[in-house]
Amino acid sequence: MESVAADVPLQHYLVLSGVLFTIGVYGVLARRNAVLILMSVELMLNAVSINMVAFAVYTAPSLFIGIIFAVFIIAIAAAEVGLALAVVLRVFRNRGTANVDEVDMLKW
Amino acid sequence: MDDAWVLPVMPLAAFVALLLTSQYLPRRGDWVAIALMGAAFVLVIPIAVDMADAIGEAGVGNFEGVSRSEQWIEIPGYIEIRMGTFVDQITLVMLGVVTFVALLVMIYSTGYMHGDRRYGWFYSIISLFVASMLTLVIADNLLLLYFAWELVGLCSMLLIGYYNDKQSAAEAAKKAFVTTRVGDVGLLIGIIILFWQTGTFDIHTILEAAEAGEIQREWLTASAVLVLAGAVGKSAQFPLHVWLPDAMEGPTPVSALIHAATMVVAGVYLVARMLPLFEVVRGLPELITALGLTTTMLAALIGLAQRDVKRVVAYSTLNSLGLMFVALGSGAVGAAMLYLFVHAFFKALLFLASGSVIHATEEQEVDKLGGLWSKMPITAPAFIIGALAMAGLIPLSGYWAKDEILVGVDHGPLNDVVLLVLYISLPLTALYMMRVVMLTFFGKPKDEHVYDHAHESGAPMTLPLILLAALAVVGGFVVFEGVGEALGFHSGWLGFVYNPIHGPEEFHVDWTISILSVVLVGIGLLTGIWMWSGTAEPARRAGAFSPLLYRLFYNRFYIDEAYQAGVNYIVLAAGRVVAVFDRVVVNDTGVNGTGEATGFAGWLGKFPQTGKLPNYALAIVVGIIVIAAVAFGYRGT
Repeated sequence: MESVAADVPLQHYLVLSGVLFTIGVYGVLARRNAVLILMSVELMLNAVSINMVAFAVYTAPSLFIGIIFAVFIIAIAAAEVGLALAVVLRVFRNRGTANVDEVDMLKW
Repeated sequence: MDDAWVLPVMPLAAFVALLLTSQYLPRRGDWVAIALMGAAFVLVIPIAVDMADAIGEAGVGNFEGVSRSEQWIEIPGYIEIRMGTFVDQITLVMLGVVTFVALLVMIYSTGYMHGDRRYGWFYSIISLFVASMLTLVIADNLLLLYFAWELVGLCSMLLIGYYNDKQSAAEAAKKAFVTTRVGDVGLLIGIIILFWQTGTFDIHTILEAAEAGEIQREWLTASAVLVLAGAVGKSAQFPLHVWLPDAMEGPTPVSALIHAATMVVAGVYLVARMLPLFEVVRGLPELITALGLTTTMLAALIGLAQRDVKRVVAYSTLNSLGLMFVALGSGAVGAAMLYLFVHAFFKALLFLASGSVIHATEEQEVDKLGGLWSKMPITAPAFIIGALAMAGLIPLSGYWAKDEILVGVDHGPLNDVVLLVLYISLPLTALYMMRVVMLTFFGKPKDEHVYDHAHESGAPMTLPLILLAALAVVGGFVVFEGVGEALGFHSGWLGFVYNPIHGPEEFHVDWTISILSVVLVGIGLLTGIWMWSGTAEPARRAGAFSPLLYRLFYNRFYIDEAYQAGVNYIVLAAGRVVAVFDRVVVNDTGVNGTGEATGFAGWLGKFPQTGKLPNYALAIVVGIIVIAAVAFGYRGT
């Protein structure tokens, strides 16, 4: 694959990835709805994917390492979200709420 | 004389054998102890013969003892400690006295202690005591001597507390041990100082070093005073005399053997043995004399007011011990050892005779006795002979010994003052001895019941009495040159036992002293008889004359109470400190505190468990940031 380095420098992609990741972290920490937290986790995963692919394209395009990593991330993210949503569903049925602030039975 | 070490082995074997097997042996094995004791006594004879021969060869005044030592511990180039024996004239006197009196006491005990619950144990501990005492007197080095010294003290404590169901006996045993411990600690420190300064425990090397001035003056003085402290404790000199009268809680044979004839004279032996050390220190002989005088006068006054026969004899022992120390303070070793020799006889006689009275009447207080002369035809004259010998009536043994002490003191320092005090003590001693004689054996019986039951004791008890009485009468004649030579010793007593500085002496009479002492003793005896005969009216009037003095004497000058108050104060004060420490530091802070701190930590630790997912997520994120910062920070450096 030909490098597109001349037009868009690598740092741009890295900053994009970092910003997306940070927004994702903020979402995980600040959202009350469990589903929204999961969406933020997805955002973080996607940010990491962009990071991996950017490095792969700009540094060693013939190896496809980053791209393969991104494929892995998509598969794992899908599996994990399936599991996580199942848990949220159970909690919702049990507690009547998806608000994580209210699910604090394990407190002292 | 090289094989003197065999002597202690025999009673030691009796101790071990009886300790392990006495309950299985017929008569609990008393014959084992007596047989081995008899063997030890018999084996003293060849030693005496050997020594007499050696003196004959070397000439009177030239025999200096035979020593034998083996290496025990050696660290090459650093320390060498040897163990061995040394036998000279002083040793021989002690060996003879200890084995002989011990044998008699053991025979006497078959009657006195008959049927007692701890009969076998009694014989085993007495055997251990004799073994230790014999070791003490043949030791050639201070370490072995100290070892035996402690053992002797232990046996004394065990035997004082023999009647272990009596609280008073246990208290007396504790008092004896603790009081002599004070002296023993001094002795130990003194020995250590001497070892440190001279590099050896060997007595002769130390004495030579002291005489040659090789020891620094401060350490010389310190060690001499400390060693003297040991002797003061063991020989019950003032101020460590308080244990001896209480030691009468022990059985009478124990009192006769340990607290009259043998153990208490261990201090006299030690001072006599170490005298060259003491004489080099300025003022120490005077100190010894002062302590002896205080002890002897104190004891005489207190004995005058006691109502228990054994107590009176105990105070008479203190009286005698003080006399021996006075003699040693003036350097009169021959006189002191002569007194030790005859004192063993008449004091053991007095104790054993008291025991006979106690055995016959089950009473000890003179308030319950009286008129026993007709009921105890052997014990009564025996006791009286002992009392007269103690008082120093001529020609009994005590007279010759006291006379020699007076002569010896006359040649020593401070002779005027010391002689004056001794002269005062002569009629006093006669007085209190006659008091107890009159109150016990004469006059009207004060308790009819006791009088009716009184009877003479059996043979095992009366035979030793007769033997000791005979010796109390003739024992003093060994001062005469003729007697000594007839016995094979080539001289009288004073040529046999003497102060190495002064050399051997020949017996001679100092007429002034002799006549004065005879007169004073006579006055004391007659006054005693007059005051306490019949209904003892003169004595009652004397007592009424000054009730304050009487109470002072009767309560032993309140010295015991003063000591007890002091001990109480110190012990309670220390106890309070320890109690506070235990309560505050150990319990409150340590134990309770640890528990509460742990609980508090647990209480603190529960707050992070909010149960809320966002909190946990935040914690994870913060943690990752911190770890990343640290990792990249290190990478940076």
